[in-house]
Amino acid sequence: MKDNAIVFKGTKEGLYIVLKEEMDFEDILQQLEEKIKPSKKFFEGAKITNLKGKRLTPKEFEELVGVLENQYDMEYLGDYESLYSYVNGVKEEDKNRLNQVQITNQNNGQEEKAFFVKGTVRSGQLIKSDGNIIILGDVNPGAYLEAVGSIMVMGNMRGIAHSGTQGDYNTFIAAFRLEPMQLRIGDIITRSPDGKKYKSEVPEMAVVRRGMIIVEPIWGRNS
Amino acid sequence: MGEVIVITSGKGGVGKTTTAANIGTGLALEGKSVVLLDADIGLRNLDVVMGLENRIVYDLVDVVEGICRMKQALIKDKRYTNLYLMPAAQTKDKNAVNPEQMLKLTKDLAEEFDYVLVDCPAGIEQGFKNAIAGANRSIVVTTPEVSAVRDADRIVGLLEAHGLRNPQLIINRVKIDMVRRGDMMNIDDMVDILAIDLLGVIPDDEYIVISTNRGEPAISDSKSLAGQAYKNIVKRILGENVPFMNLDPEEGFMAKLAKAFGFRRK
Repeated sequence: MKDNAIVFKGTKEGLYIVLKEEMDFEDILQQLEEKIKPSKKFFEGAKITNLKGKRLTPKEFEELVGVLENQYDMEYLGDYESLYSYVNGVKEEDKNRLNQVQITNQNNGQEEKAFFVKGTVRSGQLIKSDGNIIILGDVNPGAYLEAVGSIMVMGNMRGIAHSGTQGDYNTFIAAFRLEPMQLRIGDIITRSPDGKKYKSEVPEMAVVRRGMIIVEPIWGRNS
Repeated sequence: MGEVIVITSGKGGVGKTTTAANIGTGLALEGKSVVLLDADIGLRNLDVVMGLENRIVYDLVDVVEGICRMKQALIKDKRYTNLYLMPAAQTKDKNAVNPEQMLKLTKDLAEEFDYVLVDCPAGIEQGFKNAIAGANRSIVVTTPEVSAVRDADRIVGLLEAHGLRNPQLIINRVKIDMVRRGDMMNIDDMVDILAIDLLGVIPDDEYIVISTNRGEPAISDSKSLAGQAYKNIVKRILGENVPFMNLDPEEGFMAKLAKAFGFRRK
């Protein structure tokens, strides 16, 4: 439990940090250091856009930002006032983007909604969802899938898939046979290598690692 | 009430018109009453392929606009009993008719004939929408090329969106020796991608060019391999269970094919 007192999450604009509600501020600070220290280089110059979860007092906030900026050369965008001008986790002016905020908040949550499609998705067809997409069938070349959440194709995925369309790098694209024209996660785009046509042998999934899309078996070594 | 079958492909030049002419002739030879309806307004070809171009007085647009009666625009093919052609207008374009008018026209024709075969223009625009408006069955023609298969896939999607479930597939212009060498798209792969029932495979046949230029459908020639393949397709349309023919006696390639697809056909 203690391990997850803080969680870093990536978006298009930068990182945000989720602080666990029931943790003490002392524990949070300690964990922050434990998390950042081993990969200090990786976090250097990173932009923190937001804090979520546990509500901090102004003093705690300053201390936290101080640690991030002075010890680890990270940058915090914004100030204490803007941080808590949120109402129920939704910034006033962002009310019209309610869905987006809700979905990024419960990224790993099971409550996220999924859009099911049964049958073949063909060239020129576009499947769009502000949750996840699950295709029970094949996705043919020239077909588009666009999900704010993740994408699962229970068949051949030969088309173009875009997960995390609103910038969530924690989404994934998985398929029984992943032979896509193009994959996009957030604003990162990748395509199948040129030359010999790639044949997928096992179910695979595409995820973002260190700013790049990588494809690995679903039931792999490190899952 | 007869059946309205639209023959479509998306991509141009894959053999829609040739297929329409041959299947139409084949159905007439089997004793059915058939009308071939050319929906390719402005780029009509079906009349040329059927060798009936110099008999056109009225056309499809004239019927729709009420300039003539339906029967006046129907050209009877003297060689085959019960085969008629309704030509497209050549001086107009696809916007001269709309889907509602086509729906009414095909409905009127289906009351008089067993089969109404609609030759669809290439593309997915107005002409395509007109052609599929009144159809209750569809045949998608493709060739073993990536571009043709891609377009066929798009068309199948549009047909399904229009409520034309279960289109059937004809793969045209298959070069047997190229497939044997592995230089041509595998038929199995094409059926796998398109995920629809295979109605027939037409071998590439020089005789098609000769017969098209003469205005005599290949199906009427017993020596033509393609004609034989069309004959089998006609029988399958009529509901007979015809095995896929052996186009290559040495290799037994088509026999293998038939076996491979045997379970796909319902």
